Amino acid sequence: MIGLSQIVFFVLLLLSGFVIGSVAERRHRKSIIKRELQFNALPAIASRRPAEDRPYAQMLVTGSVVIGSDYFKTFLSGLINLFGGRVTPYESLIDRARREATLRMKEQASQLNASYVFNVKFETMRIAAGRVPALEVLAYGTALVATDQHA
Amino acid sequence: MVTYENRQPQEDINVTQRHPLKSFAIYAVSALVLVVVLVVIMQFAGGFLAKRVPFSVETRVMDAIGIELGDADASPEMKRYLNELAARLIEHMPLPDDMSVIIHYDDEDVFNAFATLGGNLMFYKGLLSTLPHENALAMVMAHEIAHVLHRDPAVGLGGGVASMLVLAGLTGNAGTGPASSVLSSAGVLTGAQFTRRMEISADEAAVSALGGLYGHTAGADALFRAIAEQRQKSGGRGIEDGADVFERFLATHPIDADRIRAIVETSESLGIPTSGETTPLPAAFKSWL
Amino acid sequence: MLLSNLEFLPDRTVKRHLGLVQGSSVRSKHVGRDIGASLKSLFGGELKGYTELLHDSREEATQRLLEQAESLGANAVINVRYSTSSIAAGAAEIFVYGSAVELE
Repeated sequence: MIGLSQIVFFVLLLLSGFVIGSVAERRHRKSIIKRELQFNALPAIASRRPAEDRPYAQMLVTGSVVIGSDYFKTFLSGLINLFGGRVTPYESLIDRARREATLRMKEQASQLNASYVFNVKFETMRIAAGRVPALEVLAYGTALVATDQHA
Repeated sequence: MVTYENRQPQEDINVTQRHPLKSFAIYAVSALVLVVVLVVIMQFAGGFLAKRVPFSVETRVMDAIGIELGDADASPEMKRYLNELAARLIEHMPLPDDMSVIIHYDDEDVFNAFATLGGNLMFYKGLLSTLPHENALAMVMAHEIAHVLHRDPAVGLGGGVASMLVLAGLTGNAGTGPASSVLSSAGVLTGAQFTRRMEISADEAAVSALGGLYGHTAGADALFRAIAEQRQKSGGRGIEDGADVFERFLATHPIDADRIRAIVETSESLGIPTSGETTPLPAAFKSWL
Repeated sequence: MLLSNLEFLPDRTVKRHLGLVQGSSVRSKHVGRDIGASLKSLFGGELKGYTELLHDSREEATQRLLEQAESLGANAVINVRYSTSSIAAGAAEIFVYGSAVELE
């Protein structure tokens, strides 16, 4: 039997998921854009062929993040699943996870005083956290650290 | 000389710019319409097909399942009396030749009575012991006989199974997550509108049978007053307090106050008086329970 | 030990290829973390507990890769690749592999 209290509880979950989730998403997106502009001085390149303009030392760098969906996104994507098509609530989730992982990789590279990160690769894994989906994104590549910096 | 730089690509190429609440409104409405339409179609189709199945199949199915209804040893006097009352009622609500009812009684303290496949009627002591006079008992029994007459157990089963299959297909879809339970609830609620209609038409047929048997429908509402009393005893709402829209919409059975009002309205439209002398239960009724 | 996911190093030559080396780590989260994460997952956002767990797991896998390379007498692992799979509900395998080489 479905009671009024269950309906109220469900609406509360949906509403708080939406409000808190979208505030957090907007804040995260803002912080990503800000840090991306800042780290553009340290290019991440997908090429396998490293820069050869100066002598560089190589160092593997990684960055990873696990980002969870919220109740609202999960519910909405369940509805979309009935009809198929573009699952818009997850587009922004995955986009944020990829960019955050890349930023963390660049952060590690910048601590090594690297000039570039080459051969950037991504790994994405789905995680079931409770009953709400989450995903892990790993970004990795090879940091090139100039060895003639003081020369 | 190659140069390497990172430029900032245009924001939101990978992310569709549509307000999530707009998507939510579109998909929630479409999903609800889909579920409701499918369940309604399945209820009608399942019910329609079930009605085409001969009654004898119901009997055979019940025999094949072999569920023991009621307590075979419980109170033969009570069963004799119930059978005799059923025979008197059936005179006023004629069953087709291939249909018959079988009365079962159980001395468990369950506040219930029901009709199931094969014309099997089940009465529990818990319900019978609260009835003040024969008219109240006749109302309950006529209501259950009407279910058999309308083939409601088969129609309910056919429609229910058909709509459950569709719902399972829809919500079993991996990845629907929390949406699936909401959608199944919507489907179950849609189904409840069908069972409520069955109850209403069984009540109408019962009122007509009581009019034939006693010449009036006084005391026919005693059961619904008893139901309300039971609910109030367990802390629920009293019969005078109105049920809210939610309770009305969520219930599988009509609200008792509505059923009491419907008895009066049906009686009036059939020209049956609503007042008269109630027939007492047999003197030994309490000892038969 | 030099670790790189490039295939070659511009200013150094590979003297010897010593074979494939790999490191693997399978870990699962404990209940406390799970409860915390499922509460968090109502509202979305980063699940820090899981990020850290997988990070630690990846460190361990990388450490094992390095140990294998060392046991082969290599001084670098090149063309390193990571691979991740969730092998059971609540458990994930981190796998890392590459070519162990001896640089001049």
